[in-house]
Amino acid sequence: MENQKLEKLLRELAGRTAEPIAPDLAEDIKGQIPSRLAHRRAGMNAINIVIDLRVSKLAAAAVIVISLFLCLRFFGGRDLTGDNLYEESKLFINYCLGNKTADRGSELASVLYEYLVSQGIEPVYYGDRVDISDSNAVVMYWRLSDGGYMVRFGGDLRAEAVTAEELIELQGRMLQKRTR
Amino acid sequence: MEKKINFTEHKADSAHLRSEKQAPDDRKGEYLAQNHDSLASRLKAGERLAATELVDAYYEQIYLFMRRLGHDRHLSEDLTQECFLQAWHHIGQLRSGGALNSWLYRIASNVSKAHWRRGKGREMVGFDAAGLPGSDNEAEYNNNAGHLEQLGRLQVALGKLPRKWQETLVLHYMQGLTIAEAAQAAGIRKGTFKSRLARALEALRKQDI
Repeated sequence: MENQKLEKLLRELAGRTAEPIAPDLAEDIKGQIPSRLAHRRAGMNAINIVIDLRVSKLAAAAVIVISLFLCLRFFGGRDLTGDNLYEESKLFINYCLGNKTADRGSELASVLYEYLVSQGIEPVYYGDRVDISDSNAVVMYWRLSDGGYMVRFGGDLRAEAVTAEELIELQGRMLQKRTR
Repeated sequence: MEKKINFTEHKADSAHLRSEKQAPDDRKGEYLAQNHDSLASRLKAGERLAATELVDAYYEQIYLFMRRLGHDRHLSEDLTQECFLQAWHHIGQLRSGGALNSWLYRIASNVSKAHWRRGKGREMVGFDAAGLPGSDNEAEYNNNAGHLEQLGRLQVALGKLPRKWQETLVLHYMQGLTIAEAAQAAGIRKGTFKSRLARALEALRKQDI
């Protein structure tokens, strides 16, 4: 059958399938019109914009984590939930990034860095210069009250307390790796 | 022909409809064309009266769209109500007057899809459930039996198409939307809509109608 004839038949079918509608349908629908149609949308528009942007999971996670830290700073830099905020951020990032281990490592490191800064600690951060998946790489370190240093290594970001000499040795090894 | 259509049954089924069958209301079309812009801006401003006008202007079209997508009468009424409920919630996304019908059809299409996706549409076979074409009187039926049967076969064939293609054909040929409007309603580009339309027609053409 030719397309033109098909098109004509389809249009005819439309007329044939038109049927009367329950008379109270329109009234039922009108009865559900909210009393305030658009005014309450003001606050929702921002949410709609975010939804419409269809941000990626990673971007959404970053926005949420940054918001959490901003809130934390706003409330005086104290994490009232102990270490929960960092731990929950970690879980959240793990969930969002799934198997992308490289992304996950660097995201976790930066979340941890932000967290420490919000707690008043000022770590020295190497996260953007080292291979984050290398479990021997020093990702960040900070000085402890006893004169020693706390080091966070790559991979799973394990923490280890080291002396000043050990830290120098670790940094030396990193430099050697970079010059190779 | 895969399925012989029993017109006697369908004639009985649609008997109550024939006396009330309505001709398309041209004045409503004119009114809509002239008032799209102002209606859209009044809706965005939250004017309740504009919402009732929108219902009056579109509830029949949306109901028939649902029917033509293969939902039964009762469900089509429910989905039409759901469509307007969604419309009230998404009025903030309404952009311009010209897009009013596409915007509403887009919502209707999503409501229908959500229904199928929830698995509640399994009881439907597709367009076939919407009732087959009848004739207004016995004499016309007798004179045009062959043609009416052809329309019936077309309706069955349409119901067998994938939903995406079915929706494409319904939007353009049966709901009378222009290519641009229908593409917007389907949420795709004009070019994509055109090629989808061509594929759907091709699939229909291959069937024994």
